[in-house]
Amino acid sequence: MAWTNSLSFMPEPTPVLILISVLLVVSIPLLLHLIIYSTTSDTLPTILLIGPSGAGKTALVTLLERGRPTATRTSQTPHTVEVSLPVKTPVASSRFRSPNDPTWEVTKKLLIQDTPGHGKLRHYAMDSISKPQSLQGIIFVVDAADLSSEAREGARQAAEYLHDVLLQLQKRATNSKSSRAPKEMPVLIAANKLDLFTALPAPLVKSTLESEITKLRKSLSAGLLDSGVGAKDLDVTEEHDWLGEVGDGPFEFSQLQEFNVQVKILAGNVTGVDGSDVKQWWNWIGSIL
Amino acid sequence: MLDGFEILTTSGVVLWSKSYAPLSSGLINGFIRDVFIEEKVLPSATTADDTSASQHSAYKREKYTLRWASVKDLGLIFVAVYQSLLHLSWVDKLLDNIRVLFVDLYGDQVRKPHSTVVECNFDDYFDQQVQELESSAEASQRTPQITRNDENLKTTPDEESEEPPPPIPGLLSGRKSPNSAAPSTDATPTSTPDTSRPSTPLNGHLLSAKATRGGTSRRARKAASGKPTAVDGLKEKSVGKAKGKQLRRWDADGMADEDEDVPLDYSATSDADSRPVSSAGVEPVDMAASGMRTSKGQYILKDLDDEVHSILQSAKQKNQRTETSKPTGVVGSSLGAISGLFRNVIGGKVLTKQDLEKPMKGMEDLLLKKNVAREAAVRLCEGVERELIGKKTGSFESIDTLLRTSLSSSLTKLLTPTTSLSLLTSITNITTTQQRPYTISIVGVNGVGKSTSLSKLAFFLLQNNLSLLIAACDTFRSGAVEQLRVHARNLKDLSDREHLGRVELYEKGYGKDAAHIARDAVAYAKDHNFDVVLIDTAGRRHNDARLMSSLEKFAELARPDKILMVGEALVGTDSVMQARAFNAAFGAKRGLDGFIISKCDTVGEMVGVLVSMVHATGIPVVFLGVGQHYGDLRTVNVGNVVGLLMS
Ligand SMILES: Nc1nc2c(ncn2[C@@H]2O[C@H](COP(=O)(O)OP(=O)(O)OP(=O)(O)O)[C@@H](O)[C@H]2O)c(=O)[nH]1
Ligand SMILES: [Mg+2]
Repeated sequence: MAWTNSLSFMPEPTPVLILISVLLVVSIPLLLHLIIYSTTSDTLPTILLIGPSGAGKTALVTLLERGRPTATRTSQTPHTVEVSLPVKTPVASSRFRSPNDPTWEVTKKLLIQDTPGHGKLRHYAMDSISKPQSLQGIIFVVDAADLSSEAREGARQAAEYLHDVLLQLQKRATNSKSSRAPKEMPVLIAANKLDLFTALPAPLVKSTLESEITKLRKSLSAGLLDSGVGAKDLDVTEEHDWLGEVGDGPFEFSQLQEFNVQVKILAGNVTGVDGSDVKQWWNWIGSIL
Repeated sequence: MLDGFEILTTSGVVLWSKSYAPLSSGLINGFIRDVFIEEKVLPSATTADDTSASQHSAYKREKYTLRWASVKDLGLIFVAVYQSLLHLSWVDKLLDNIRVLFVDLYGDQVRKPHSTVVECNFDDYFDQQVQELESSAEASQRTPQITRNDENLKTTPDEESEEPPPPIPGLLSGRKSPNSAAPSTDATPTSTPDTSRPSTPLNGHLLSAKATRGGTSRRARKAASGKPTAVDGLKEKSVGKAKGKQLRRWDADGMADEDEDVPLDYSATSDADSRPVSSAGVEPVDMAASGMRTSKGQYILKDLDDEVHSILQSAKQKNQRTETSKPTGVVGSSLGAISGLFRNVIGGKVLTKQDLEKPMKGMEDLLLKKNVAREAAVRLCEGVERELIGKKTGSFESIDTLLRTSLSSSLTKLLTPTTSLSLLTSITNITTTQQRPYTISIVGVNGVGKSTSLSKLAFFLLQNNLSLLIAACDTFRSGAVEQLRVHARNLKDLSDREHLGRVELYEKGYGKDAAHIARDAVAYAKDHNFDVVLIDTAGRRHNDARLMSSLEKFAELARPDKILMVGEALVGTDSVMQARAFNAAFGAKRGLDGFIISKCDTVGEMVGVLVSMVHATGIPVVFLGVGQHYGDLRTVNVGNVVGLLMS
């Protein structure tokens, strides 16, 4: 018979085949679930932590996660951690909500991405800035005690990293194809280690970094252009990038508002004999969510 | 004696640590920087997973020696610190065992995404291992006569046999399931019963009912809260049973009537344990009890021994099994193949050397095609392979993409300089704070474009209104001084026309000693207020011993702030040798400070020389020559270079 013949093309129902089909039937919905599930966790708002090595980023992450900091060592890989905003911290999005609203008490979850600050490993952070899907804000952690040293070395290095980060954000605005401006990007400069008596207070941290960036962008513009190697790259970068307002004037963080980058400087400390003080940073995080 | 032991993640969180002496916090940070980030200390060529008696690499800093082991897919690093004066032969085994124990006990917690918290009460496990290994090392040094910890003496003075424990029948079969939720580590537990546990008397291991329950229930609780697999259950039961049988004879508390029920009762008890109290809450109590010197306390200690040994042994068996066993039967093998294929596509596959072999070869060929020297290409690929073996592919991530990201990130890491101090900043620093000229000397083999590169550098400095003295220290090749004179004249014309800096040539003809001319040039520059001295040197083959040896004296007399070596982008396999030879030529205290790669415009995408030279020496490329004009000097854009290499 014709149809029995055609049936014989079907493979024999061996145990293997049965097993495979059962496996497929079971695993496909499971997989789908896994995929959907894993992507939803990425839609939590993300805040990126960057800053020079030893600034206290990892210590801050552990503090935000568990309420007290742990011992840390130099980081080699980025790591994303889920934290919940303390209930008391006001969230910008719930400003108009009645305090009697039952959802008021619900803590807000967010992801914090810690990145390594070592000079060789900054590409992790830079990559994260340039493809910000759910990136809500950037915290640049800086060791305020390190800025005060005579040799300016700490200040210079922090400024250099900060300059690169801000320049990247500025390029995001200037290079965007679409006519509308990119999403606003809040940046917090978290002046850490205020428990140490050599630490600079927030206003001084601001002015120190601004003046270092002023010097830096000048010397960068005097320096050589950087390039890949092939001749075709040469035409692309015939101009130096310049952070902030063009001209001889000093650099100020406020000049970046034009590019939708809001910079704020707040002090705090992750560790210290009297415990930690990161209230202002929490409030900032709350204000941008 | 150890000074400290730390378990940390690659993301920088210390999960557990113990220090016997105060250690400076810079010690481990420096170790991480040197070994893992800047890779100043290359790990030995053998990967940890194919040496059964793994020798962990050592790193020395200050007066300490650090040995470490890692679990790559979990991002864990285990570090042991001790004083270099001591010779602690058992540290390797300690690292191995601790790695197995920690992963077994807390692997699930480490794996949890978006978290850094690992609740662990690891102290007792660690102490147990240290005690055991230390005393067994002592024992093997001295006579086998055993007079060690008093517990052993008290309980079983006559049973100090060094035999391996009797095989527990249920145990072996129970662990044979291929689906066991084994933590994938690159660990190779080397502990064999006869070497790692001589201090544990045989019967002690089978000693107590109470303890068995208390201790195993800790594991059971973990299993209950995690994913209780058939394997786990079976294992627990068989352990319990084996112990239970002997129990009647040995229970010191005289609770023999309970014995019969222990193995059966077991799972119920552990359930009961786990329900009312959170595991974190219970354990500290257990731990405190275990420290006590009561008979009960000892039992708990013994029980810990049991637990530790069963973990170590099961890991060992697992390891042996994966080495030897092949999937049997049609169903087994085809299932295996299918799930393997499946995982290839959807991810979640644990990578092995075989999986990587072919794509690795492709990567290597790609690098070779881009003119990366073979040695560097091989070593880079080895590094990537080391990083990837034992890793799980992410969901919907093919081996290839994983490999590409891994290679591109190691290339980026390699090419990015540790400090990005710009040359201009260093020059201003020196000239303002020390009131002396900044000295740069240029070295390299013949014909690579030393003088041209020097002139480009000069032009760049002139553009920044610095005053330069160019010292012609190539007193060897005829025509060299004249060539430089032409460059100097051109540069002078240029800078006069465009009101740039001041430039002058310092020359003393041929035949004189280059080192002395260089020194005199620096003195002259200081007297005449020059900002920078640029020293041209004679080109020399890196295998010309006589000329190379004169470089040491040169560095001593001229004291250059920067020694830059010019290398050609066109050069092939020679690049590695050249870079190494020049880097070593200035004596023990001095090396190269950077490379200038010339003629980059002629090679297109074949920019491999950058990789070869940096890889051979760890010294960054500071400038690229990209054309025939004075303005054709560039700094390196690492992203672009990596892009070219990977294209
Ligand atoms: N005194 C003081 N020390 C702090 C504070 N915050 C962090 N530290 C210490 O600074 C050191 C470095 O902190 P980490 O968090 O590891 O630094 P990091 O920014 O993550 O550095 P990388 O991972 O290398 O980028 C640690 O020893 C912390 O204990 C603080 O507020 N005050
Ligand atoms: Mg860190």
